[in-house]
Amino acid sequence: MTHPNPDRNIIVETVCRVMIPFVQLFALYVIIHGAGGPGGGFQGGVVLGSSFILYIVAYDLKGGKGRLPESSRTYFSALGLYIYAGIGLLAMIFSRGAAQFLNYGFIPFTSHFTENRALGMDFVEIGIGITVMAVTASIFFDLAEKDEEPDTDPKG
Amino acid sequence: MTRLSFFSILLTAVLGVLFIYVAEDIPALGDPDSPPIKYTFLFSVDADGAEKELDQGVLPSRVRETLQKRRFPPSSRIERIPNTKGEWVGYIEKEEPRYPKEEKYYHLRLEGKKLTVFRYAFVVRWIEKGLEETAVPNMVTYGLADYRGYDTLGETTVIFTAGVSVILLLRRRGRLS
Repeated sequence: MTHPNPDRNIIVETVCRVMIPFVQLFALYVIIHGAGGPGGGFQGGVVLGSSFILYIVAYDLKGGKGRLPESSRTYFSALGLYIYAGIGLLAMIFSRGAAQFLNYGFIPFTSHFTENRALGMDFVEIGIGITVMAVTASIFFDLAEKDEEPDTDPKG
Repeated sequence: MTRLSFFSILLTAVLGVLFIYVAEDIPALGDPDSPPIKYTFLFSVDADGAEKELDQGVLPSRVRETLQKRRFPPSSRIERIPNTKGEWVGYIEKEEPRYPKEEKYYHLRLEGKKLTVFRYAFVVRWIEKGLEETAVPNMVTYGLADYRGYDTLGETTVIFTAGVSVILLLRRRGRLS
């Protein structure tokens, strides 16, 4: 039985198979607990993106594309920004003409103004995390892809 | 010398002067009472007789006039800071449009024969009011996502733009090639 990638390294693959779920879980932890502890959207997003990079380094690009296809990479990199700006826009709508863009207190998540601010911050951090994850993975995928695929188009 | 290089040299010179000017105010590292961290300097006036008025909770008329001239909000209440020789805190009223609660605004200090008026820096408010205003215990997070929310939105946009640039440059197939 032959493997498509003959240069594969069993040790690296096994270690990565064990590590990647924990890396991703830690990334989600960092994003969700961004308000309470150290961390936040940027850091968690980078950790989450680098877990995909680790997958490509250990396995191959094709499998990585299967896990995180090009379309979802592109969509996610915009989705995070949309979440962020959308939360700001929601605040603008719920403040009823006061135009409090990004003042999360006006969004009625709960009945307390300050709690709303804390929750709005959490959602914003999630948005940042999604964008940073998608962009980090996307840059790596694009750089790696060019190396692997020789230019078949004669025009370039 | 072309016009462009002339203007770039001018811009560089202006920026250099600005940086030196700003750097003049940088205090020794780690001093918690340094002016940029604790308060910013506004102006100073003659202090004859001001100490008694301030101890009674009245703003001296010279200070009030200067504040009005510079369009700062008037101080409603003045308290002496205990265990200091000649330092007061000026609070502003609740009705000020940008400050719905009464809060610390001015710091008045007697220096020799001069009464110097400082304004509490935003950092002070950031540290003192952050937890009760946002219900988040982490100072960095409420700074990043709430007080400086516009800045973080811009940072995220920068990252998004970087990703889109790499997509445009390196994804060769499709319409753009």
